[in-house]
Amino acid sequence: MLDRTIQPPFQLPDRLTIPAARQTTLQNGIRFWTIDAGTQPLVRLSLVFNAGTRYQPAPFAASATLNLMSEGTARHTAAQIAELFDFYGIYYDTSIDRDYSVLTVSCLSRFLDTTLELLDEILFGPLFPDHELELYASKRKQQLTIEREKPSYQARELFSEALFGREHPYGRVAAAAEYDQLTTDTLRTFYSGYYTAGNLFAVASGAITPQAARSLEKFLGRIPVAAPPADPGIPPTSSTPLIRTRRDGALQSSIRIGKVLFPKGHPDFNALQVAATVLGGYFGSRLVKNLREEKGYTYGIYSAMLNMQHSGYFAIATDVTAAATDDAVAEILREIERLRTEPIPATELEMVRNIIAGEMMRILDGPFGIADVTIENVQCGTTNDAVTAFFNEMRTVTPERLQQVAREWLDPATLSTVIVGA
Amino acid sequence: MIEFQKKTLANGLTVIVHEDPSTPMVAVNVLYKVGARNEDYDHTGFAHLFEHLMFGGSVNIPSYDEPVQLAGGENNAFTNNDYTNYYLALPRENIETALWLESDRMLSLAFNERSLEVQRKVVIEEFAQRYLNQPYGDIWLLLRPLAYERHPYRWATIGRDIDHIRNATMEQVRAFFSRYYKPSNAILSIAGDIPARRVFDLVEKWFGPLPGGTPPRDKIPAEPVQTAPRRLEVRRPVPASVIYIAFHTGPRMSREVTVCDVISDLLSNGTSSRLYQRLVKENPLFSNVNAYISGDVDPGLFLVTGHVMEGTSLETAEAALWNELERMKNEPVGDYELEKVKNKFEANNVFGEINVLNKAMNLAYFEMLGDAALINDEVAQHNSVTRDEIQEVSRRIFRPENSSTLLYIADPEAPDTAPTE
Repeated sequence: MLDRTIQPPFQLPDRLTIPAARQTTLQNGIRFWTIDAGTQPLVRLSLVFNAGTRYQPAPFAASATLNLMSEGTARHTAAQIAELFDFYGIYYDTSIDRDYSVLTVSCLSRFLDTTLELLDEILFGPLFPDHELELYASKRKQQLTIEREKPSYQARELFSEALFGREHPYGRVAAAAEYDQLTTDTLRTFYSGYYTAGNLFAVASGAITPQAARSLEKFLGRIPVAAPPADPGIPPTSSTPLIRTRRDGALQSSIRIGKVLFPKGHPDFNALQVAATVLGGYFGSRLVKNLREEKGYTYGIYSAMLNMQHSGYFAIATDVTAAATDDAVAEILREIERLRTEPIPATELEMVRNIIAGEMMRILDGPFGIADVTIENVQCGTTNDAVTAFFNEMRTVTPERLQQVAREWLDPATLSTVIVGA
Repeated sequence: MIEFQKKTLANGLTVIVHEDPSTPMVAVNVLYKVGARNEDYDHTGFAHLFEHLMFGGSVNIPSYDEPVQLAGGENNAFTNNDYTNYYLALPRENIETALWLESDRMLSLAFNERSLEVQRKVVIEEFAQRYLNQPYGDIWLLLRPLAYERHPYRWATIGRDIDHIRNATMEQVRAFFSRYYKPSNAILSIAGDIPARRVFDLVEKWFGPLPGGTPPRDKIPAEPVQTAPRRLEVRRPVPASVIYIAFHTGPRMSREVTVCDVISDLLSNGTSSRLYQRLVKENPLFSNVNAYISGDVDPGLFLVTGHVMEGTSLETAEAALWNELERMKNEPVGDYELEKVKNKFEANNVFGEINVLNKAMNLAYFEMLGDAALINDEVAQHNSVTRDEIQEVSRRIFRPENSSTLLYIADPEAPDTAPTE
């Protein structure tokens, strides 16, 4: 007879193995990682440059440079490049944050050489035509204006200001009108200073056959050598305890609470990441139970540790019904206080360990997931061994240690709060 | 090519299994053939509210989420107009936890008053967050009743009136469960590195004992043929005006919709597409444009949309969209352009097959449409679309009397979004 009241036996691995990423350093100094995995005939290549927004000489210059590289080269116009990408079903993506810009192409294996030829043009011969910049700027200006109407977007921008300071490279936010000041000369200068062999690393994943590896290495080998520009680092942060913006007739308040701490290499980072997971890192976490399942204030709430090249921060994010704004903030602080004053019960911690283990297995499932993890580790100056180290630490960390890091780092008096809405 | 095996249990549950030896995870997907289109005009938003209640505990298991998380799994669900879909991904060793949980909530829910009370509030917050408290959030709340007069697609899954959620009773919840949540109205699909024979045995163990029951047969009102153009203009304090033009199409499984999908790719898939090149790049009237099909099971919509650039009149912008649709009707598509969108569709398909959860979801979805094997026919279907068909379908669809146009006009003085009705 089937007993439906008892969970069937389950198990989780006590060790985590990641397929190794093979590293080579090319003659021009480029560090290149390959992950040969997966079953589909696909290749993805990411080029990661130290060319994020904190290096830019003018607002929006870093993202504009990155995005306009594919908008016209010596051989093809922007329209022709778009045409070629689409014809071969090539995905061309760019992304940028404060520290890094990333250029990624994904293609069917049989079109790898075609893809690299196109990428070659984009990387070595972008023209930055005036009319393309003009068009780009007006389009982006409108999109940014729309984004800034969203309470959650406003809250996110104000949050980085509250954490790091209005003038800080990690906190700075520019007016949309700054798009009008961009010139193609600014982009060209930024491009030639930052898009060089000394300033990037590359990660390829998917069906990396010996032939594919040769094509990739040949392509990367052509990137010109140049001394990497200096990293100016970051100045000290100056945080603000509370930023509150009222919106007329707001139905909800977008809330962010957090604090600048330290980058991933810090000895307390992993433990705090586990503590943040207990607090709000999963569906059914303390914050979700309290604010969503018990009070019905919100559709969702999250907390996490976030990492940057020279910093890291703890963050909580939610949108709550306007009338409950202050109570929601009080409840969030109460849950943080509980982390600091009570040890986490063993059963709860066991569950969180399993959640994290399962999540890591899912993230590392498939070639692109492993590539993403590899990119993140290289950015942090570590290797994929850091993943195993985190796995082992999260499996053995004690309730006492979690309480101790929460007490040390999450004093409510030192947190910054942003509220957009009521 | 996705290989799979299919069985129907004695109680009517359809089971599909796909073996994928490349992953340590297993995906378990349960699709119930009930969505907002099965709702009554006076009780809308129910299928979606119900999805929330499915996480409030089942007859033998007080909490759904905890056992999933203990087993290292992740789960979620979504509701649309046609169906409700629940899915989990967890280490393959722990597949029985998924089958145990899913079979128990197919057997019966806990029908917990407190859970109903909380989920009512959560859904009302979801409504506020997604539809009211952000710019353009209410577009679909306006567009659906404009395009549909009779068919239940005239309301969104969140519901026609949020009071329907506020007033939902436990009695209604029970009735909904017993009508729609049973093996004969569900499709279970499983993908992972487990032999199919073993999966079928485990499924039989957990789902076999569930009572069958007859599948519900709802009479869904058909949408009358539209005979005159429809227009709606609203003013909102948003940064840019938006145009939506919706055209009626055939049902998802019609040839017409496959052709429409190719047309939408020609118009707006990728930066080389017609609308993007002509109306964003060459003559920048819009900051972005889009064309897509709704993909609904019953006769659905072909949508053409755009954010109008500041300084462009709405008349000019709307005429430019129509101009591109007229070209589709009057000029045959070239071989190169047609090959391009077909290549892109194929590549997209290969990328979609990386993920085991994607595969499980798609198998269940195509089974709902009639046969899981259709999943392997999609690329061939698209590849067989001809230029004549494109022209013929464009002429049939892109007519003013088949269109509903929403002009969402940016006006800083306008009052903020108000709930409709």
